[in-house]
Amino acid sequence: MLVAPTLVFVCLFTLFPLGEVLVGSLFKHKLNIPKYQVPVFAGFGNFTDLFKDPEFLQVVTNTGIYLLALIPLLLIAALILAFLLEGKMKGLAFFRLAAFHPTVLPLVSAATIWLFFLTPGYGLWNQFLRLFGYAGPENWAGNPSLAIFALALVAFWKNVGFLMLFFLTGLQNLDRSLVEAARMDGSGGLRLVTRIILPLIRRQTLFVTTIAFIGAFQTVDHVFVLTQGGPSGTSTLPLYYLWQLRFDRMDIGRGDAVTLMLVIALLAFTVTNTLISERHEK
Amino acid sequence: MKRHALLCAILMVCLGWAVAAAPVEVSLAYPVAVDAPITAMLKGWAQDYMAKNLDVKVNLIFSGGYPDVKTAIQTAIQGGATPPTLAVMLATDVYDLVNAKYVDSLDDLVAAAPGGAAFIKDFLPAYMGNSHYKGKLWSVPFQRSAVVLYYNADLFAASKLAPPKSWDELGKDAQALTVDGGKTRWGIEIPTENPYWTFQPLAIGAGKNVFTDDVTLNFNAPEVIDAVQFYLDLSQKYKATPPGVQVAWGSSTQNFAAGKTAMIIHTTGSLAGILKTAKFKVGVMAVPGKVAGTLASVTGGGNLYLTAGHTPAERKAAFAFAQYLLDPSRVATFSQATGYIPHRTSATATPEFKAWLVQVPQAADAFAALSSAQPELATQNLNAVKTIFNKYLQNAFNGTQTPKDAMNAAQSESDKALADYR
Repeated sequence: MLVAPTLVFVCLFTLFPLGEVLVGSLFKHKLNIPKYQVPVFAGFGNFTDLFKDPEFLQVVTNTGIYLLALIPLLLIAALILAFLLEGKMKGLAFFRLAAFHPTVLPLVSAATIWLFFLTPGYGLWNQFLRLFGYAGPENWAGNPSLAIFALALVAFWKNVGFLMLFFLTGLQNLDRSLVEAARMDGSGGLRLVTRIILPLIRRQTLFVTTIAFIGAFQTVDHVFVLTQGGPSGTSTLPLYYLWQLRFDRMDIGRGDAVTLMLVIALLAFTVTNTLISERHEK
Repeated sequence: MKRHALLCAILMVCLGWAVAAAPVEVSLAYPVAVDAPITAMLKGWAQDYMAKNLDVKVNLIFSGGYPDVKTAIQTAIQGGATPPTLAVMLATDVYDLVNAKYVDSLDDLVAAAPGGAAFIKDFLPAYMGNSHYKGKLWSVPFQRSAVVLYYNADLFAASKLAPPKSWDELGKDAQALTVDGGKTRWGIEIPTENPYWTFQPLAIGAGKNVFTDDVTLNFNAPEVIDAVQFYLDLSQKYKATPPGVQVAWGSSTQNFAAGKTAMIIHTTGSLAGILKTAKFKVGVMAVPGKVAGTLASVTGGGNLYLTAGHTPAERKAAFAFAQYLLDPSRVATFSQATGYIPHRTSATATPEFKAWLVQVPQAADAFAALSSAQPELATQNLNAVKTIFNKYLQNAFNGTQTPKDAMNAAQSESDKALADYR
């Protein structure tokens, strides 16, 4: 009885739509093509078509690059920031605010700010890189090798402060006596972090990794503002591709197939991540 | 008992009267995509219309751009809700919108409205190309534009250069106006993040538009390949424009107004914003063609559609409000405020518009560019075709494919995307 309200909401807003998507993915259904306006059963046709489609394979590749570029860097930077901002220092409140403030900005605003930063020629990002001798291409959003990293950069700046908060909470709730004992036993520096502190904040790390991964899949606004998936589709991420299929091209069947794959991928990651962490716990 | 029955009867009559007296609601979804005081203007007109028509309530819904409005309409219809009655969406979306049954024909409303036929006949033919499909009228022009060349006239005068009359002159002028390899100033910038539209004048200038009709594409025509090569020449041969895919749509107007580029290819919809911010004399003209003396431009912009699923009273009220918004004097005022080209013959004859042309000669030049304009890419399955064309144009611009290979691939893939319509 107590879980009934939650169950109703889960059924209504998660399971029912998921069932609809599952059924929809088995039909060819394109609203702008007269012969497919009434859904035509296609079995796994949408899935096999997708895996033969270079555009979809490009999206999968883009997603892999984006995740590899973003997630490890996000986690490491958030952890380092948490260590830096955990101790006592002058102006601590200011630095915490500075690290956290991009989080409160809507992603569209963050992307618009970065659109200006990334402007070729006089943009702040290129000027900053030039200080270190950078002489490469300047149009990050228009370069096929750099566009995906431009998106990762914006997502990094926007999210690092938010993820830092969870690590900071974990560090502040650490059992100090354990850390002190380790110190007295001669453990310090990197050894103390990797052998004592990181295992102690494992639950926070699991949570942060999961939300960073899911968040990376969920964000799409910066793609709209910065690159529109280009150039030549090199920065098209799953949600943008889904929007293109579902709304731009009115292809409901393929849109459902991509949605289903996205849900399965996220579920698989979350479950695997949890299981690995729980095994360590035991 | 009798008293209760009487009370019920009175209540029902009152309720019926209240329903009958409730104003008809007309909502307009509008994409705010240019730097101009459009929202204030539309709000003012909506207030004025409601003051004159007490039986109508107008709701304005402002969105970020054309895709946002289209997505909102789709979401409402697919979700079983009532979409906004009127919507400004891309004129070129007509095939997809009609095929998906998202919009209603205007024919019956035009026939029934006083002066309906004359109202439609007054629109400039150049802007009615996307209004008809399957023998019916689906939309009327609302905010229409064209792609033009903006140039810094002061720089041209200081360098003793005349506005370019051909590709060769355009390249040489741009080269002469480039300073410090583009670090201080580029000769020309062409926003190519979503390149098909700004590219079209180059293809038209070479002698062929990129499409013939809704299922016939000319992506691999020699003239189109020639135009891709000219785009590359501007950076490779003349060293006058940034190589590869260039700056974002909004950044190019800022660069131009700030003097960081001497010319840009952009929409007439940016005219008001550029004139407001540029501290120099701005020149406007159609894009020079390949052959000396030829000019090219391409139409663009949004039409006003009546969405599907409304009652006869709502449809009638919506069309009447559309007629009010598209009154000649309002079209002229709207053009002055934005730079969008007036699309009604009667609007160009208004004293306000004539006075404005004298006051802002660039507007007359922008209007003149329409005479060399051809239609914007409009096909069945438009967004799939656009995505393919943009992808291969950008491949060619970034040098990952030769112009010929890229355009052949674009043609072949797009033909497949159109196979179901042939």
